[in-house]
Amino acid sequence: MTRPARPLAVFAALVAAVAVALAPEALGPFHIRVLQFFFFSAALATAWNLLGGYAGYWSFGHMAFIGIGAFAAAHYAMAFGGGGAGPASMIAPVAVGALSAGGVALVIAYPLLRLRGIYFAIAMLGVSQIAAELTNNVGVLKGGIGVFLPSPTPAGMPPERFFYYLFAVLLGLCLLIAWAIRRTRFGYALLAIREDEDTAMMLGVATERWKIAAFVLSATLTGTAGAIYGYSLGYFTTYSVFRLDFSLNMIVFCLIGGIGTLWGPTIGAALLLFLTQVLLSRFLDVHLMITGALVVATVLLMPGGILRAVGELPRLRPKREGGT
Amino acid sequence: MSEAILSGRGVTKRFQGVTAIEDVDFDIPEGAIFGLIGPNGAGKSTLFNLITGYLPLTSGEIRFRGEPLGAMPIFRRNQAGMARAFQIAKPFRALSVRQNVAVGAMFGRPDAHDVEATAAEAMRIAGIEALADRRADALTVGELRKLEIARAVATRPVLLLADEPCAGLNPSETAEMVRCLRSVRETGVTVWLVEHDMKAVTSICDRILVIDAGRKLAEGSPAEIVADPAVIEAYLGAPLDAAEGGAG
Repeated sequence: MTRPARPLAVFAALVAAVAVALAPEALGPFHIRVLQFFFFSAALATAWNLLGGYAGYWSFGHMAFIGIGAFAAAHYAMAFGGGGAGPASMIAPVAVGALSAGGVALVIAYPLLRLRGIYFAIAMLGVSQIAAELTNNVGVLKGGIGVFLPSPTPAGMPPERFFYYLFAVLLGLCLLIAWAIRRTRFGYALLAIREDEDTAMMLGVATERWKIAAFVLSATLTGTAGAIYGYSLGYFTTYSVFRLDFSLNMIVFCLIGGIGTLWGPTIGAALLLFLTQVLLSRFLDVHLMITGALVVATVLLMPGGILRAVGELPRLRPKREGGT
Repeated sequence: MSEAILSGRGVTKRFQGVTAIEDVDFDIPEGAIFGLIGPNGAGKSTLFNLITGYLPLTSGEIRFRGEPLGAMPIFRRNQAGMARAFQIAKPFRALSVRQNVAVGAMFGRPDAHDVEATAAEAMRIAGIEALADRRADALTVGELRKLEIARAVATRPVLLLADEPCAGLNPSETAEMVRCLRSVRETGVTVWLVEHDMKAVTSICDRILVIDAGRKLAEGSPAEIVADPAVIEAYLGAPLDAAEGGAG
């Protein structure tokens, strides 16, 4: 049931990689920052999509894993970092951040994933609020006063350019994982769970196990993004990383681009960020209102997202036989 | 016919005050096409839910291939060789017919290999090879029912529980479904069938179990069942010829 990778796709990926690598030469710091934030957002949305899009388990609280990743990295770096600098100094703290997010997901997965639909979504919202309040109010976690991560930027390189590359690599990694999953039993299991979980069980799909795997993987990638984001901030408090708009944006980007598809989250993030950060930045009074209206219009007019709407253009009249 | 592939002793299910299934015994002989009939609300689907693990038993015991099922998870029951075609067809609508069947082939056995060949064989048995690349949400009711059978067969079961596979089908579709179930049996799979269409049931089944209000009413060959006064009283309401087409 798997298709071989098409040469055209491989070529396109190579062209994209070269373009991403060379773009900073032609761009100013502002646009590099916009692209950096785009890579970060697209990576988050792609990670969210593994659980929300592939398996149909919408989380309203993925900001929890951004925050956990960032705080775990910072506390590890402050405790054991030894004051080293340079990109290599990030490796251990980012790994700790990623594994902490994945570990928390593993612990809460079993009870939470027994909930379906809106109940799971709301439970995740609760989890993210609890995690945020814990870092804010438990003294040793220092969320109230803030934590530090030393700058990992190599000498002579502007930080925005360094993080631009870092987030681009992260997005590439998320896309690669999302692409690979689609081609395995794991991908089919998640699809079956999304389509009809009860039926999937009777077809031998160990639904619980696959759901937990998707949740932990999604959280680990989100935690990785969170830890790197923490580095890009340098100093942060609870509310700089536990941001409700992060949780919401992951969902909105997927909805706009095409939920459950490989490229949908990236396309959604590209469109919406380009719109809000570049086009509408001249209309600061109304830009949030226009953005909101566009989101509503997209969801109403193209419920499957832009990717599906474009894909269905050639067959606007679906060939359906009989009634169901 | 050899020994029972599936057997139940004292199978009972209560929902709070309501007793849905009470003290039902059954033995499904290996290789048979076994029928389960009863009026609406008799507990047929509840019994299938107990066997497949969607509901826990209140008391009693069900054994599959000699082993008590206990609290075995649903997916393990399937991997142990039990498959089910649901009464309300539940296709994966966004997937093609081939992908739907592939899911069964992929997960039905822990050692799944050669998924494509298994899926192709299951589609052939159910007679839906021609629909392989059609999306599941573009199928007719009759085609969906066959997809339901194909997907179950792709898990390579030894026992297929088919819950009203002919419900809502026209006579020619029903005849096709009967053919389909026969070809499933020819591959060595035992079939247990819930059905309202008496013509289908009596033409295809080796033995029939009748339940009414959660209790076992009768069991025997189709000829014995249609002649049983208790069955006629409770279910058919009249001898078969008069009841035909009116059941359900």
